Amino acid sequence: MTSAVIQFIGSIRLAVPLLIVIGSILIGATFYEAEVGSSVVQQEIYKSPWFGALMFFLAVNLSVSTLLRYPWKGARKVGFAIAHWGLVVIIAGSAAVIHLSVEGMLLARTDGGPVSTLRVEGDFLEIATSDQVIEQASLFIKDDGTVVPNQLGQLSLLGYTNHAIKTVHFTEGATVPNSAVKLSLHSDRMGQTLERWLAIAPRSYSSMDIGPAELQIQKVHSDQELQQALTIPSQEASAPWGTLNFSLANKTQVIDVKSGLNQPVVIEDIECIIKDFWPDFRLDGNGKPETVTQQLRNPALQLELSMGDVSERWFIFGNPEFEPIRTQISGDRPLDIKFSYTISANTQPDAFFRVLVDPEDNLYYVAKSSKGVKTGSLALGTAVTPGWADFSITLDEYIPQARVERDVVPLPDGAEGGEPALQVATADGEMAWVPWGEPTTIETTTGDWYIAFSPKLMQLPFALKLNDFIVERNEGSESVAMWTSLVTLMEPMTGELSERRVWMNHPTWFKGWKIAQASWNPGDLAQSTLQVKREPWWVTGLTWLGSLMVTIGVATMFYGRAVAKKLKFMGEILGPSEREENLEETVTAIPILSFFSSR
Amino acid sequence: MKVLKFAIGLCLGLLLIAMPIGQFQPSALDSLETMTVQQGGRKKPLDTVAQETVAKIYGGTTYKHDGIEESSLETFLSLWLNNRNWNEEPFVLVSYRPLKELAGLDLEQKHFSFETLMKNQPLGDIVRLAHRKQMDDEDLTRDEREALTIEDRLQLMLSMVNDNAIAIVPHPNDIKGKWVGITEAQTLYGAESVAPLLASFTIIKQTILSGTDHLPMLAPLATSLKAGLASLSPDIYPTGGVMHREVFFNHFHPFAKAWQLYAIAFVLMLIALWVQPFNLYWTAIGTFVAGVAVQGYGFWLRMQIAGRPPVTNMYESVVWVGFGIAAIALMFELSQRSKYYLLAAAPLSVVCLILADSLPAVLDPSISPLVPVLRDNFWLSIHVPTIALSYASFALALGLGHVALGSYLFTPNAQARIKLLSQLNYRVLQVGILLLTAGIILGGIWAHFSWGRFWGWDPKETWALIALLCYLVPLHGRLVGWIGNFGISVASVVAFNAVLMAWYGVNFVLGTGLHSYGFGTGGSEMMIASVVGLDLLFVLLAVMRHRGWLDRLLIAETDSSPVVSSHTSGH
Repeated sequence: MTSAVIQFIGSIRLAVPLLIVIGSILIGATFYEAEVGSSVVQQEIYKSPWFGALMFFLAVNLSVSTLLRYPWKGARKVGFAIAHWGLVVIIAGSAAVIHLSVEGMLLARTDGGPVSTLRVEGDFLEIATSDQVIEQASLFIKDDGTVVPNQLGQLSLLGYTNHAIKTVHFTEGATVPNSAVKLSLHSDRMGQTLERWLAIAPRSYSSMDIGPAELQIQKVHSDQELQQALTIPSQEASAPWGTLNFSLANKTQVIDVKSGLNQPVVIEDIECIIKDFWPDFRLDGNGKPETVTQQLRNPALQLELSMGDVSERWFIFGNPEFEPIRTQISGDRPLDIKFSYTISANTQPDAFFRVLVDPEDNLYYVAKSSKGVKTGSLALGTAVTPGWADFSITLDEYIPQARVERDVVPLPDGAEGGEPALQVATADGEMAWVPWGEPTTIETTTGDWYIAFSPKLMQLPFALKLNDFIVERNEGSESVAMWTSLVTLMEPMTGELSERRVWMNHPTWFKGWKIAQASWNPGDLAQSTLQVKREPWWVTGLTWLGSLMVTIGVATMFYGRAVAKKLKFMGEILGPSEREENLEETVTAIPILSFFSSR
Repeated sequence: MKVLKFAIGLCLGLLLIAMPIGQFQPSALDSLETMTVQQGGRKKPLDTVAQETVAKIYGGTTYKHDGIEESSLETFLSLWLNNRNWNEEPFVLVSYRPLKELAGLDLEQKHFSFETLMKNQPLGDIVRLAHRKQMDDEDLTRDEREALTIEDRLQLMLSMVNDNAIAIVPHPNDIKGKWVGITEAQTLYGAESVAPLLASFTIIKQTILSGTDHLPMLAPLATSLKAGLASLSPDIYPTGGVMHREVFFNHFHPFAKAWQLYAIAFVLMLIALWVQPFNLYWTAIGTFVAGVAVQGYGFWLRMQIAGRPPVTNMYESVVWVGFGIAAIALMFELSQRSKYYLLAAAPLSVVCLILADSLPAVLDPSISPLVPVLRDNFWLSIHVPTIALSYASFALALGLGHVALGSYLFTPNAQARIKLLSQLNYRVLQVGILLLTAGIILGGIWAHFSWGRFWGWDPKETWALIALLCYLVPLHGRLVGWIGNFGISVASVVAFNAVLMAWYGVNFVLGTGLHSYGFGTGGSEMMIASVVGLDLLFVLLAVMRHRGWLDRLLIAETDSSPVVSSHTSGH
């Protein structure tokens, strides 16, 4: 019974169906790969346990069949044994290559320092619960966003997106007063509705630029302050571009910049013209002055002064910390004159919607647009039209004691931008998105979870410094002929240094690691991408030994007898030796040898 | 007698190779043809530039118009120096019918003028759409890909009408430096050394512009121009021999001669088989040997010109497989003298070589520099030819399988021949299996160096393995008696589809994986699919005949019996 089973396991009757099954799976896998990509097929088929089991089964079949045919007498059987054992060795070696080797990409720059961190394919997840249990896993993420494995410890891994953004929202429950409002802005003409949170704290949420205007929130501490806040914007500044004070030895004069632009003014023989004014001064790429915005962020003006044959050009800034820049255009002595330029640093935008919170936590608003100023009290659900196109603003939510909560949310399908994030759910049903590369804490009723979702990195036992990256082109053209990286490899323990050259098809080996040229960045020739890989020496040895065995085995099986016969035949021609009786029939002959020797 | 007959066949072949005798003498246009041009990352003779340019735009190397046939060199010179109204010459190939329908072009016409195509509104719209899609990384439709090809042709044509379109002035000192066009020569050399060259160029140009039809009268001018260019930078300018070799290769057409010889050998062998009185066996062998020799010589020439090992793209692999089929068949024929090896091999080699010659869009014969990953590797340069030789063995087995199946179908009583054929087939399959095994393993060794792993289930690797399995299964099945002679014949035909897939299909059908440098746009999938379909139908017919179903069907029909038995098992 047992021997019958063993006979079957080592039989061709098993081998043929097994080969058919493997072949069919492989055919299916290649077509599947064309659809879903290599990494998925690698994960789901080639590296899967069931495929491994199938290969193992094949190896068992091969080994047993070889053993069953012992003793191996004659070229055919010897060849058969070598070839089939060789296949077993190759299967073992290939499996070891796939499962035991470490491989990753190393990005090195000629202008950067030595690198020793390897980016390994895949991602890495580490979680720690409040009771200090730490768990780690490598993640594989499929193109459709499914995560493998889908569970790590108590944490379910629900999905993945490449496009997540960080947002905040406010909830009740702060211990100190902190007003937060959620406003919704709606425009029929633009066909859009925006929702925005404003809050007194954190400060960055107290004002928000939304393009045509600014949203603001402000706390007032008394009725008087409130009244002032509600009326201030209606006052138009008397000198919107500020005033310029001349002071000569004993005389001063004040000019309003806006009305005095390009109007010559003469003070004690000195003629002065304000030539130009910039609300937000800077120098453009050609060194010419220009204004960045129309808001008074860095007001500056240009003056030209002349007295007789002396003329000067001045640049004067509204910011008192900036010294004026004066240039002598003609003449040999500087003019004895001083300026002071004052401009009210009114950085209020032209259009805004400001929410005011009074000491009793009542809400008011001040809206300013080109059409004027509107004020009033703000109530939940009532729309206010500030006067910017057809926008209307509604107060959706108001939280007097608000606390900020940061969120990561996925963008809708088809959206671009954002960062990768992983969706997880704790055992008690708390769901959250964890951003890539940023350790995150999730608070639940049963305790906090610390979660780190990060690239899989590996520390190399050596460091690599890219000294030069050479891109050779085909003569007279832009097409690349070869990339070569000149690197220095450093062993930190012994301080051993080694200079190496790495180019396509010519890797270098260092401390058991293979370093090969992988690719380049056409836009940045200072950067080289190297593949770094390590596989145990015996794995390489196995595949090479197996290869040799299979090739020799097959050749011996098919042609061994014929060749042996020919050799004997040649031996007889070259010198008579004792004649051996060999009655084995030639089944096959190696054609080229028979052609040369059979006549 | 045998030797005499063999010699007759060989001489017949050599005569055909030598015809026309003129090809071994330098032509009157020699100095123009061999003028060196730096283009596409290498230095090549003007003759090659002309052939490639005309072939790319026109789709063939001989431009036929108004009842005249112009050589590629004449056409190229006329286009380069613009001596007639090229706007209106029907010179640009538009072969894809649906695109012609979309663009409202005459469906029966193959070539259109530059002006017609440039002014064609629908065509321009498709091209713009295709560019926008390319920017967005979207997949293009066949129409759009074809439209882009037309755009490339128009651009190439436009760019050639320029004195500086071809770089003929050598770099002063750098062997890999960038050459320039003739009127840009002053950027590299002093005015005094450039002036005489410009003068001879101007005279050549004037002569052509004045409308001469007789190019040979330019010869002395061209010779002095070429000598002048060479003397600018004698160390950089390639020696005449190198350019002559390539021009000779261009005009020698070794692969065309080879397939003609294979075809003649095939006919002679058929006569030897059927018409007993004239034993032409050795004559056929002689002709076949001449074919193998000229193809081998052609391949060796191409290797010399490209300066690298053979078989680095689809075109070379098809030619190499054609050569492999013939060479392997010849070896077996010489040892077995069965006639069938040659009969099976010759048509296949002919098909390979004709395909290679006639599908320049899919199998591009031009010699261009290799991408980095294919360079400079010993394992690669033996891995690919070994794999391709195994494909050749399997192709030969396919041929023998067809002869055997044909025998089953038409002369089922010729048992002796059928048995012989399947034995012959078995031996060829053995060679194929040994070569494919070795080839896959060599590929693994190369991959170990190049990609860092012996085996990684890349689609091309996987399909080579699948092909091997497809042959191993029937051979093992034969050992336990599950299939016999008939089964081996069927297997050698059917399993070849796996080879086709590994060789062609992975690149063109699947289009993924690391071997992507061999990928192209394809376009002949339908043709190949229908050939494969017809072939499988043939196999099915043979199977039906062998199992007797065909007879029963016929009997059932003639008896007009309502009962048609559907047997699933034979004998």
